[in-house]
Amino acid sequence: MNDTAQRELLQTFVRLADTLVDDYDVVDLLQVLVDACRDLLDTTAAGILLADSRGELEVVASTSEASRLVELMQLSAEAGPCIESFRSGRRVSVPDIQHTDDAWTQFRDAALAHGFRSVDALPLRLRDMTIGTLNLMREEPGAAAEEDIIAAQAFADVATIGILHERSIRESSVLSEQLQAALNSRIVIEQAKGVVSHTRGVSIDEAFLLIRQYARSHSMGLSVVAARLVDRSLRL
Amino acid sequence: MSGSFEIEIEALERSPDRPERYCEAFVTLFPVSGASVSTVGQLLGSETLAASDALSARIDELQFDLGEGPCWDAVRSARPVLAPALHVSGPKKWPAFTQSAVQDGIGSVFAFPLIVGPLRFGAVDMYSAAPVRLSSTQTRQAGAMADVISRHVLRRALSAIGEDPDEGISAFSRRLIHQATGVVLASIDISAEDARLVIQGHAFAAGKPMMTVAQDILDGRLRFVRDGDRIEVAE
Repeated sequence: MNDTAQRELLQTFVRLADTLVDDYDVVDLLQVLVDACRDLLDTTAAGILLADSRGELEVVASTSEASRLVELMQLSAEAGPCIESFRSGRRVSVPDIQHTDDAWTQFRDAALAHGFRSVDALPLRLRDMTIGTLNLMREEPGAAAEEDIIAAQAFADVATIGILHERSIRESSVLSEQLQAALNSRIVIEQAKGVVSHTRGVSIDEAFLLIRQYARSHSMGLSVVAARLVDRSLRL
Repeated sequence: MSGSFEIEIEALERSPDRPERYCEAFVTLFPVSGASVSTVGQLLGSETLAASDALSARIDELQFDLGEGPCWDAVRSARPVLAPALHVSGPKKWPAFTQSAVQDGIGSVFAFPLIVGPLRFGAVDMYSAAPVRLSSTQTRQAGAMADVISRHVLRRALSAIGEDPDEGISAFSRRLIHQATGVVLASIDISAEDARLVIQGHAFAAGKPMMTVAQDILDGRLRFVRDGDRIEVAE
């Protein structure tokens, strides 16, 4: 990591710390985190998955909304590094996806077809509990740089804090409710993608970009914009 | 009067699983002798779910047996069917039904369709022994109450056949279903909740998994379009 990269990394943490003090949109925060992983670390694509009430992992943020990437991460959550990291609460590194366990065939084939050669899954942990994982995919085989992993784990910790401290949805101390709130915002974002895809005649992926652009240029949270698109009080 | 409508419709909203209460609101608010709620047609079959009295149940049965009557027309047209003077307007539209109903001493019949989006699957029937009219306000109120019952009935029917949309569907498929829900709600201007019910109901009617229907919607192979106040399926 060169000096510029390090400075940018520090700036990102400062910005994140500022975000956490204010009222913030948890999905927005997670999006900033995965984008930071892609832009500042040696990683091609990144995604955060959270466990729902049944312990099933769902993608809540990813660097690309392209359905193939999301599907790949879901495969990893069924049988792959993601679920293993979630279950063990530990980092799972796969320096060469070609040489993985046969139990991961589906994930392996999809990842290779996508052009990915290595992956790291890091737990989102609070004390002894794991609530989800951060996944980093790379196009090059080989182990990730240790300093990248340290930074990524710090991002994962920020994500955990961000999810658990989100105050916008009722003041609630119940962990599962906070998790569910984050997952529910994701439902509304998916619905909003469908709405915009219909009203603008664009693909689902393009629809997400339009929603993000609107949220940014109006300084609004992604979840707020999505909710207003779905209840039709906002037209895009 | 308007106050009691608010109370009744709220009570209806809170009683999704008490079909025996569905009819009460109609009998309380409107100048009718009885009311019934039934499913009609192919989607959910023809069956009376609730009736406030024996004659209401008999009116449903007559219509099922004869294959004609206000409830059939309400389902077909997706609009209320009002026959305040059954002996005048009835003979031409429903000769067999009118003959039996008038013999049973029925003066007026009103039918309001049970609809969610493009799905039409039943009706609320009301009757009065003495001929009566429903005002336009009463007609609107009855329509709103039938809308509430529509959702209850469809939801209950779908859960009774074990179509839990979240069971056995991967997280990725759920995402597609949410996206398709967005497409449907935007294309026919309904709530997200209704849009999801529409997808679920359509899947049931077509005998397909919800996931397949969602994909068809996202790919544009299945579209729902609004035609005036009616919603049609375009495949």
